[in-house]
Amino acid sequence: MPQATGRADATRAVVFSPLEGAGRAELVEQRLTDAIVAGVLRDGERLPSESELARSLGVAVVTAREALVALRDKGLVHTKRGRDGGSFVTHDRDASMRMIDERVRALSRIELRDLSLHYAAIAGMAAEVAADRASEDDLAGLVELDARADLATPGGARRAVGRFQLEIAAVSQSPRLVHEELRLQAEAGPLLWLCLREQDSRDRSRTARLEVIQAIRTVQPERARRATTEHIAAAVEWLIDEKVRLEQASPIESDEASAAATPEGGRP
Amino acid sequence: MSVTVDVTAEHIARRIASTIDPVFAMIDGWRDVLERELSGPLAGALTGSTEPTAATLDPVVAALVSAELERDGTLITGAGFVAAPGFLVDAPWHLAWWLSGSNTFGAGPDPRLRRLEAVSDPDSEQFRDYTTLEWWRVPARTGTRHLTGPYVDYLCTDDYTVTITTPVRVGGEMAGLVGTDLYVARLEQVLLPVIRESGHPCTLVNASGRIVASTDARRATGALLRLDGLAEALTPLRDAVTVTDATSLPGGEAVVPCGDTSLALVLEA
Repeated sequence: MPQATGRADATRAVVFSPLEGAGRAELVEQRLTDAIVAGVLRDGERLPSESELARSLGVAVVTAREALVALRDKGLVHTKRGRDGGSFVTHDRDASMRMIDERVRALSRIELRDLSLHYAAIAGMAAEVAADRASEDDLAGLVELDARADLATPGGARRAVGRFQLEIAAVSQSPRLVHEELRLQAEAGPLLWLCLREQDSRDRSRTARLEVIQAIRTVQPERARRATTEHIAAAVEWLIDEKVRLEQASPIESDEASAAATPEGGRP
Repeated sequence: MSVTVDVTAEHIARRIASTIDPVFAMIDGWRDVLERELSGPLAGALTGSTEPTAATLDPVVAALVSAELERDGTLITGAGFVAAPGFLVDAPWHLAWWLSGSNTFGAGPDPRLRRLEAVSDPDSEQFRDYTTLEWWRVPARTGTRHLTGPYVDYLCTDDYTVTITTPVRVGGEMAGLVGTDLYVARLEQVLLPVIRESGHPCTLVNASGRIVASTDARRATGALLRLDGLAEALTPLRDAVTVTDATSLPGGEAVVPCGDTSLALVLEA
């Protein structure tokens, strides 16, 4: 039964989905950091409690607590005591931009391209199968999602891309592709869709979406796959250009930063 | 266009209907209990409340569905009542839905019968208006039972699911619906032996032409069966019109409705 279990918004839903192969506070911290700096979790929003977080992410309560402490130290959440207490998101736009920039610099081009390739493999296959398996209702649902997309803001455009890709995976009728789509949206989404900061990229993401819809309407699986993988490839090329811009704008100074930004091929 | 179909095909179609009919009968039974509780001379008999509230109705729903969810060999993995917006005086939006132990979604290390946690505050970002979803939309329009799926239920359990829902009416208005979820894998397991008995190559499809099970191993569950004229032949099933007559397609295939399940058996020529 699909309904209001809090998974309606894909980009949000992935934030609290189980972490795989991990029980580490850093992973919890990274995922929540990504969601906060990307604006998926809003300023002032109350986070789930330690025990709720632990349960939905599949980690120990002490791990969730550790991650929340780290987020507090970074200034991404603040804690209120008392009956209406809890951890609340503090979204500072400038601080967020700096944090994302650091993340982009810390990952090598190889890692970024590999991540996008993995995502393209999943999303492309989902689109290919969806083009063959979409019913008239499925198609109407995709058109409706596109019509509701907010292209005016980066957050809106990100949510639109996330929801559309998740719906495509669902239309493919594969629980595994849906699962992988959710997992990779959490991992790759915050970086890959940084390009949606720019109106130009947001317009292109809409064009790609319409191309996929058209391919599905005309039952052209290859075309649906191509439109999807090309969209992702363009996003990672933008990201790598951005990485170059960042590196040129402020060359690496500290030892820590240079270790984190070891060029591709190197071991961090 | 009516055609004479092999007696075996009609028989198989009836067997398929009778596999699913107990699930229908069960949901109809839940509906009857709730309708009696919510209006008429016995209104409030179980809850002691003359006003419909989530607080008093939830235990009634829990009692209705939990026995079947815990029964060994049951086909269903989730069940409950979903209220029409504004019907319950203490909860504008409300889901009273339970998941069985075989449903592993968010169950933790020891899956057992438990209530689905739902977001029913429409101001929450995570709120989803369930009246836009197929399992609500279609029965609300037709006023009768609907089988949604097979579909990947990513909003709830991440599983490949069929959902069956039927309206609960109070004073001529839809007060909500009762329904249940079945795993498609489990359904296929039960239905495959039945359709194999026909001896013909045949495929069971839903009203959208989506394959539920097939004797042909190359016909994947979840794929659309693309045959000339099939969409038209299935139109009455989509509109919840009970049809019993078989039709034949231009390619020579026969389409046999399976009772009022909204499923149809397609026999290849």
